[in-house]
Amino acid sequence: MKKLIAILMAALMCMLPLVSLAEVELTMGSWRTEDTAQVQALLDKYYEMTGVKITFLPTTSTQYNATLRQQLDGSIGPDLFYSRSYATGAELYDNGFNVRCNDIPGVMENFTDTARSAFTAADGSVFAVPFAAVSHFVYYNKAIFAEQGIEIPKTFEEFLAVCEKLKAAGITPLANGIAANWDILECVLCGMIPNYITAEERLAYESGEKKMNDETWVRIYSDFAKLVPYFPEAFASIDNDQANVLFGIGDTAMLIDGSWSYGTLSGDDYDIDVGFFTIPAPEGFAPGFSLHPDFGIAGNAASAHPEEVRAFLQWLASPEGAKVAAAGVPAGFLPSISADVAPEGGIVSQMFAEGEGKNADMRFVWSKMMSLYTPMVDQLNAICRGEQTPEGAADAINALWEAELAK
Amino acid sequence: MTAKPRKNPAFRGGRCIRPGGIYWMRYVIPALVFYVIFMAYPMLDSVRLSLYEGTAGTRQFVGFANYVRLFTDEVVSTRFWNAFMNNWVFFAYHMILQNALGITFAAILTNRTMRGRQFYQTLIFIPCTVAVLVMGYLFKIMMNPQWSKAPLENVGLGFLVHSPQGWLGDPGTALSAVSLVSVWQWVGIPTMMFVAAFQGIDDDLIEASSIEGANPWQQFTRIRIPLIIPVIGMVAIMTFVANFNAFDVVFSMETLDGAPNYSTDLIGTLFYRYGVAGQHPVGIPEPGVGAAISTSIFFMLLCGVIPVLVKTQGKE
Repeated sequence: MKKLIAILMAALMCMLPLVSLAEVELTMGSWRTEDTAQVQALLDKYYEMTGVKITFLPTTSTQYNATLRQQLDGSIGPDLFYSRSYATGAELYDNGFNVRCNDIPGVMENFTDTARSAFTAADGSVFAVPFAAVSHFVYYNKAIFAEQGIEIPKTFEEFLAVCEKLKAAGITPLANGIAANWDILECVLCGMIPNYITAEERLAYESGEKKMNDETWVRIYSDFAKLVPYFPEAFASIDNDQANVLFGIGDTAMLIDGSWSYGTLSGDDYDIDVGFFTIPAPEGFAPGFSLHPDFGIAGNAASAHPEEVRAFLQWLASPEGAKVAAAGVPAGFLPSISADVAPEGGIVSQMFAEGEGKNADMRFVWSKMMSLYTPMVDQLNAICRGEQTPEGAADAINALWEAELAK
Repeated sequence: MTAKPRKNPAFRGGRCIRPGGIYWMRYVIPALVFYVIFMAYPMLDSVRLSLYEGTAGTRQFVGFANYVRLFTDEVVSTRFWNAFMNNWVFFAYHMILQNALGITFAAILTNRTMRGRQFYQTLIFIPCTVAVLVMGYLFKIMMNPQWSKAPLENVGLGFLVHSPQGWLGDPGTALSAVSLVSVWQWVGIPTMMFVAAFQGIDDDLIEASSIEGANPWQQFTRIRIPLIIPVIGMVAIMTFVANFNAFDVVFSMETLDGAPNYSTDLIGTLFYRYGVAGQHPVGIPEPGVGAAISTSIFFMLLCGVIPVLVKTQGKE
């Protein structure tokens, strides 16, 4: 008898958690450790509205892909996760980890094809709800510009003149370095490319119709090389974090970095007054604007709460939800949704305004040429160290792309 | 009342311990099970994995294709041999400098006229207790002329600055800089082992040799060193294995790519890039190639370790 009571008690105890589970708790994986407080506040707002609790669990950006994959492989992945655009994101879908989003209301209606294409797998499945794009800017220290009587440059030539003037005044013009092996391509070169190559022309390079060592590319690399003398003296030892610090403490006048850095640079860590402008186009070139689909939010196909996951994605794909989300994420992430959701007069609107009337395109290599990413970083580093000429870099990249196309 | 004869636990179950029996097996089993599940099986499984392509869910048998790629593909093989050679340089710094310093420190610390032995011993060992990532990050900042040039020049140590690119930014000096930081941090480990070994030498031997007229240098080279050869062999193997598994110091000082220009790329970072994380920013790992790298290195290490073991161990 005693035994029976004990078993009954144990069974009751086991059921208790089930009762308290009425409140659903989801987790969200992300690579934005910097945004924890803000995104969690946004998710708490969602909890107030729907009663579904979502916990934000970010991993450092450079470790995110590996960590997420291992979590998903081991069936302990987060219910919702930030999805990278293009091949990286599609790979997870191809392995069956993502919820297919095509039939989630709003996904097909509220986004442009361009915004959605970054999150569409080869078979046409949308593997994440497009969320935000990023851009790349020249950040400048307003106080230094005012002190030196410098106006925001309109052309690349004027930009170089500004750098020269600052250097002559004993101020390091740019804070960028090459030690991190990514920002030199993603922010600097990919920030410059839309000034020289439009989205349509990019397709011609991807197909091999145009050569990766034509005069446009030689021009891009030579213009890039002209920036190197204005980097800090020890640029080879400076990574992206240190570049941010160098600019943030007011040691340098400018920094070419991603729109996502605006939050940190203008935040409490530093007391500088930050402005920004797009990397100006050289005379005779139509100004471009890098607008890169950066992340979407994906649902985990193996989540224990598929209903809630879909509901959240649907909310994000609706103008109402996107508006709340846009107000909640840190400045520097430009909403992907077609509706006008950016807070009026905020930084995001200012960033969008920078791109008005300019040829917008994503980071050049992302769509088809990802295999050129590392070789391009290597070539840029070599140019910076003075070991490679612009022509040599263009030839090396062209040879790789021709070999790839020949396969 | 007569006390019951107590049962010898060894006789429990009616079986007795017979010399020459396999009774000892039961003592080995827990360790054996642990070893098989957590060491042997994963190692063999990684060999198996090197014959497959794709990740979980899409895995396909491809035979030796990963090895062919590793040794013939222009990019992959260049990176592999580059990392392999870098690793030997990294190892040479540790083997020669760290272990020589370890023996020297140990000889000084175990000298009978040495004062403040505990203090110095602690001082030498302290860096080993600090996380590699923290240490690497501190050195990364210290070696960056942007931050350290002015302060060092102010105190007359300007020659320590490698202008303009810094020790870690110059492909010619980066590997040496990283190796020396690692040597500095870990010199405490061989020191401790050699101290223990020297202390284990019978004082009578030293005394007898002094009576015979041996000077301290002769005592050191003819008596103390030959007596700790097994420990030197052990330390050499530990250095070898630890260096070929090194990852963290490069990760913290020079990114996963072994910047600048792959000059600090080691087998560990190469393996991580190919097998675990995938190359940034695509981040699609190729576990098969990663496993091929680790399997190749495993056999290469084996070829290095076995002769050293045979040479230095076993002769008691």
